Formats: sequence, structure tokens, C-alpha cells
Amino acid sequence: MIKDEKITKLPWNALRRLLFLLCLGIGGAFLSATLVRFAPGYGVQERELDPRWSAQSIEALRQKQMLQEGLASYYMHYLSALAHGDLGESDSLKRPVRELLRQRLPATGKSVVRGLGIAWLAAALLASPGLASRGWFYEASSTAFSSLLLSLPSAVVAMLAVQLRAPVFFAIGVVVFPRLHRYIRSLLVRSYNQPHVLAARARGLRSGAIFCRHVLPIAAPPLLALLGVSFTIAFGAAIPIEALCDSPGLGQLAWQAALNRDLPLIVNVTLIVSLVMFAANSLADLTSRAFAGSVQ
Amino acid sequence: MIRRLCVAFVLTLVLCWPSFVSSESASQSGGELHFCLHGEPKTFNPLLVEDGQSEIVRYLTGGVLIRLNRQTQALEPALATSWKTTPDGRTIIFHLRTGLHFSDGTPFTSEDVAYTVKALMDPQLHSPTGDSFRSGDGQVSVQTPSADTITVTFPAPVAGLERLFDQVAILSAHSPKKEMAVLGPFYVADYSPGSHVLLRRNSNYWKKDKEGKPLPYLDSIRLDIQRNHDIEILRFRRGEIHIINSLDADLFDRLQKESPAAAHDAGPSLDSEFVWFNQVPTAAFPDYKKVWFRSTEFRKAISLAINRDDLARIVYAGHAQPAYGPISPANRFWFNSALPVPKYDSAAALRLLAQAGFRFDGGILRDSSGNHVEFTLITSTGNKPREQMVTMIQQDLSQIGIKVNMVTLDFPSLIERITRTFDYEACLLGFTNTDLDPSSQMNVWLSSAENHQWNPKQSQPATPWEAEIDRLMQSQASSTSDKKRKTDWDRVQQIVFEQQPFIYLINRDAMSAISPAVIGSAPSVLDPHAFWNADVLRLGPDPSMGAQK
Repeated sequence: MIKDEKITKLPWNALRRLLFLLCLGIGGAFLSATLVRFAPGYGVQERELDPRWSAQSIEALRQKQMLQEGLASYYMHYLSALAHGDLGESDSLKRPVRELLRQRLPATGKSVVRGLGIAWLAAALLASPGLASRGWFYEASSTAFSSLLLSLPSAVVAMLAVQLRAPVFFAIGVVVFPRLHRYIRSLLVRSYNQPHVLAARARGLRSGAIFCRHVLPIAAPPLLALLGVSFTIAFGAAIPIEALCDSPGLGQLAWQAALNRDLPLIVNVTLIVSLVMFAANSLADLTSRAFAGSVQ
Repeated sequence: MIRRLCVAFVLTLVLCWPSFVSSESASQSGGELHFCLHGEPKTFNPLLVEDGQSEIVRYLTGGVLIRLNRQTQALEPALATSWKTTPDGRTIIFHLRTGLHFSDGTPFTSEDVAYTVKALMDPQLHSPTGDSFRSGDGQVSVQTPSADTITVTFPAPVAGLERLFDQVAILSAHSPKKEMAVLGPFYVADYSPGSHVLLRRNSNYWKKDKEGKPLPYLDSIRLDIQRNHDIEILRFRRGEIHIINSLDADLFDRLQKESPAAAHDAGPSLDSEFVWFNQVPTAAFPDYKKVWFRSTEFRKAISLAINRDDLARIVYAGHAQPAYGPISPANRFWFNSALPVPKYDSAAALRLLAQAGFRFDGGILRDSSGNHVEFTLITSTGNKPREQMVTMIQQDLSQIGIKVNMVTLDFPSLIERITRTFDYEACLLGFTNTDLDPSSQMNVWLSSAENHQWNPKQSQPATPWEAEIDRLMQSQASSTSDKKRKTDWDRVQQIVFEQQPFIYLINRDAMSAISPAVIGSAPSVLDPHAFWNADVLRLGPDPSMGAQK
């Protein structure tokens, strides 16, 4: 009976979550656009200093910019255009925002996914060895290594990547890895100390079997939640790394949009970034809940 | 199992590393020149070009009727074999080359030129290239008496008319590829936003070398979009790019030490750095400061008290020349060489200030009402030479008791202050001049103009000398005689020297980096410094492009 009730509520819950996500995304986008709108230098362009422009052309340029002066009317216009799938045109790049996002999003997506792959693989591999014995040297050296990486700002990692000719996704991996490593390690250690794991070890089961059959199922739900968080970290790190490495992704686009006070681009980039981040978190949350339920 | 996984991970990393690296350092073919654009080109339509990146693409792809030789500074026939301007300066007749084709094979005729000129002069286009031709109200008339002759008549005389056609890339009237069909040495073959623009050799390019071999020599040019100058120089050192078109003095010096053959200083460029005081009557600062800034003696004293030689020597490491007027000595024809070259003289500055009622007392300069002379100088943030110049000006002016405060602003904020709010006291900025003919600076010198920075958009000239500049500007703009125009411009330069509305500081050198692997380079003071002759550039037999080689 309770199960049926849950099933009937599922679409409604999903819809509610989706609406919540959309509102949060649009709210975030409008907030950042408002900040840009009131930032000094909004609505002025470098080309106004070009002496070749005639007074009429400069006036036409300013008139066009005036159309975005009123924020409320801009937002209304933006929402109605968004409902028709029109994301507007970038002021600084003179191209449709939809086209720009379509070109840049896959590059960032690839970098983030590859970076996450590297970070997860490295964190899992470094966190797993010696779970049973847990020698002090291994603990100290792995903690020192991840702490060292944790202390490196994303910008420094980006510059190192440029120097070493490493790709952007490797830099993202380096930023995400230490955040994952410590959490995964403590999670696995906690799981390894469970009484039934101790019992399995006492029965003489092989360490691989213990890990797969007894440790992983306990650690899986929080690990899935961590996946969502790590995606958010990776996406956040991609913005400065792409901007500094001049990688043709969303980060470079967002950086340019902010520098050029490009309102249409800022609104849409923020919307996309917030939606992707919220969606990743929600998905990880849902999966981890579902997994926890099935384990119980 | 865990050990196996570890081994697998390490192996994966080792195997994948070369592929990580290979994306950056792919081997280059001998015929592909590499250099960087410092941003996204905003358009490939040559008529709408307004940014430096699009200008580079236009220069390399566009076919023009007349080309300005960046080295000799003389006009040379390009798509037009000859041209003639009528005595009234309103009409120009071109005789075109015959048998030419656009990059897509479409034939080139006078119809294409007519189509281009009409599109360019459409008032709704709002193109800076088109605006340069506007000299009076009315329509431009275009006649094509034959396939190889075209007559263009403007409503009023246009100063330096022939030279303006150096910027007009001819479009095809009939090509389905529209602006992507070009007559220049290269055409845009691929554009990956945020990453690169690939230009390939235009096999229909009209020009041939002395031996009759078709130009250009290069197979292609890859323009990598690279905003970060430090990464650009790093890539040059690694040999991933061949050319850096414009270098800062410190980067130039570093490169010169590492690889003297790659560093090129062509001498003073047309670009200048200068300071001006805000003379806008409604500006939001105390009235007594407005009185200082409007005083010619005050401005001249400031000019005398700035040690330009030190600016050139310290900030630009000797790769700049002191500047005293609006036209750089690099502009051989228009520069007024008769103007005196004043020396740094703080004692003379104090004498001038004393004449204007200022008192230098106890190391502090005060005006006749006892106000301590102090002002804020704004400049663009992140521009190291400008920030250093402000610091040095602070030191120089402290010698005559003036306190200067430095404020750095990002470029949009700075432009807002100097063009909209006028919320500033003095500004240090530079102008990048791409045009030899000073009439392109009309919008700076006319008192009614938007870019008359110290006091823009005046309904009536605020001072007699501004009125005289207005008259001279109108006079030179309507004249077809270069001699008469030169006389007018000499007088304008003299007035600017006497009144110092802009206090010119330096003309920086045109510095560029060119890999020794590039054959045929001849760096010029005019932009584009390093690749103005791209159609005759070649890459040496050594396929590796290292700057050190």
C-alpha cells in the first residue's frame, strides 16, 4: 500500500524537483546578470574610442545597448524569448548565444568527465591499498600528497598544466583528486571496520572478495553522493582552468562574458552552469537514496 | 587485485601521456605558418570589421584595390592597375585587373567593386571602414562603364581617398559563398570558435613573384586563439608558433637575450601614450581644479616636469621614443619635424606655474587660493607599462610639489568614466594608430567630436585654439592637395604642442618576434608589423620551428 503511494507520487516529486531546479537556475542567472548590470563599465564598449566611427554610428551603438538598460524589461523579454528557445545574441561576440553554447559545452563536458575519471580512478586506487594493514608510512605519505595538491589553487594548477603541456582535463583531475581521496579513504576505512567485515576477514576470505562483497556495498551510497559533489567541484574548477589555459570551453566563454559585461551571455552561461550543477547533485542524491534503499 | 589495478592505472597514465601532450605539440608541416590571435574574430565580413582580430583575418584574406606598402609607406596597385582622383577630390576612377577570380572561382569584375562600395556606404551598416569615407551628406554614386573600369563619386571631397581603399576588401556580388569568397592570398578554410582559424592558400590569388611563380608561398596559416600573452611567448619559445606580431618591452628583452635572431625592433611605431586632464565643465570635481586643468601654463608645466627619456629608458627598456605631438616620427610624410624638442626641466615648469599664480612652498605646490595641487590619474589595470609610467610621473611631479594619486580601472570602467560619467581628473591612455593619414583622427580633434577626450561634444569650441583646430581640420578634409593638407596638419601639431591638451609621453617601438624558420620577413613599423608581406613569407627547410633554432 505504502509502495503504491510512493509510485503514484514519483512523477509529481520529479516534476517538483525539476521546477525547483529551473527556478534556482533562473534565479542564479538573474542574480549574476543583475551584478553585471550594475558593475561599473556596463554598456560601454572599447570600440567607442575608435576614431573612425562616425557620431551616428556611435549613437546607434549606444541605442542598441540602451535596449538592455531596464533590467525588469530585459528579464521579461529574456523569459519570453527563452520560452521560444531563443537565448539571444552575444553583445561582445556578435553570435547567437545558443550557437556559442552548443560549440563550447561539449568541450567543457568532455574535460570535466575525463578529469573526473582521472580523479576518481587515482583517488580510489590510492585510497584502497593497505586498508587491512594501514601502515603509518602509507597513511602519512598519501595524506601529505593529497594535502599538497589540496593547497594548490586552481589557477596554479592551470599554469602548471600549461608549462607541462598537460591537457585541461588533467588539470581538472588534479584539482578534484585530493578532495576525493581523503573522503574516499575515510569512508573505506570506516566500512572496513564493520563487524561483519571483521568476521569475513577472520573466516579467511580473500581481500578482493571482502572489498567487493562487503566493503563496497556499504560505501556505495555516500560514494554516489560524492560523485555529484565532485562533478560540481570539477565544473567549478573548469571555469578558471579553461580561462587560464585558453581552452575553447564554457569557462573561457564565461570569463570573456564577465570581462565584456556581456549580459545575454552571462545570463545563459550562468543558467547552464547552475542547471548542470543542480542536476548532477540531484541525480547523485536520488541514485544514492535508491541504492541505500536497495542495500537495506 | 588492488595491486593489479594500480599497475593498470600507472600503465594507462604512461600510455596516455603522449596523447595528452600531442594535442599541443602536433608536428607541423613546412608550409603552415602559426601565430596567435588575441581574441575571437567577431566577424569574417570585411565590411563590418571593427576589432583587431577580424582585421588580421581581413588583411590576410581580403583583396583590395590599392595596397599600402607597410615598408615604403607608398600606395601600390593591387586589384586596380591604376587609379585617378578628379581635381575636386570627390571622384575616383579605377582600372581593374582582368581575368581574376575569387577563391571559389567566381570571376572578378567592376560589378563586384560596385557591390562592395554600395554595401560599405549603406548608412545602416555602421561600419568604421565605411564611416572613414563619410565626408558629407548625400549618396555615393557608382558607375561601371566596363567590366574593368569603375567610377566612384562621393558627395563631398574625401581626404586621403586612395589610401582608404587599403581597408576595403572586395566582396563578390554573385558568389554563393558571399563574404567567404575572397581575392586575397588566403581564404578561411576552418574556424573553430575559441580555438583557431585556419587560412588556406588561395590558388586564384592574382599576385606572382619575380620569377612568375604564383603567390602565396605558404600552404596555410593557422591562427590560434590565445588571449594570454605569457602562454603565447611560452609557445613561441617551444617552437609551436612562428610569429608574435606585437611584443611588450620586457618580453622583447627576455626574448632578445635568449634568441637575438628572433627578436625584431622596427623602431618607433605610430602608437602613442599620453596624459590628458578632464576639462569637461560639468565634471564632478571642485571648480578650482577645473581652473588648473584649463590653464595652458599648468598643462605645459606638467609636460615639462615629466621626464620622458626616463619613461622610455626604464618603462620601455629603451624600446620607445619620447613623444611631443600627435603624429609619430614614424609617419614620415605627416610628422612636423620643425617642432622643437623640449627637455625635461622641472625648474622651467615651476617658473611657468609661478606665472599662472601657483606657489611652490615647502615642497608643496599651492594655487592662488592656497589649495594643495593634487590630482588623481586613472589608467587601465593590467597594463604594466602604463602603471609604471604613472608611478614615474608621480615621482617626477612630486619634485614640483604636486601629489598624484594613481587609480587603475578595468577597461570598460575606464571608458565609462572618460566617455559617459566624466568622473575622473586625469587619464593616461594610448592610441593605436593603424592609419598613416591623420584625417582618420578627425573624431579626436574636432571640438564637436565624441573622441575629443579632454572636453567632448562641444556645441561651440570652448577656446580660440580649439576653434582654429576645427577650421584647419575642415580645411584639410576638403582639400585634395597633399601639400595644403600637410601645411594644415603642421599647424595643428604646432597648436597641440603649444596648448598640450594631450600631453604626449612616448611612441613605443614596433617590436615583434619572428622565428628564424620564417623566410622573407621584413618587420615594419606599420601594422601588421611582422606579417604584412604574408604572401611572400616561406618556411625554411627545417620543419621544426623553434625560436632558438
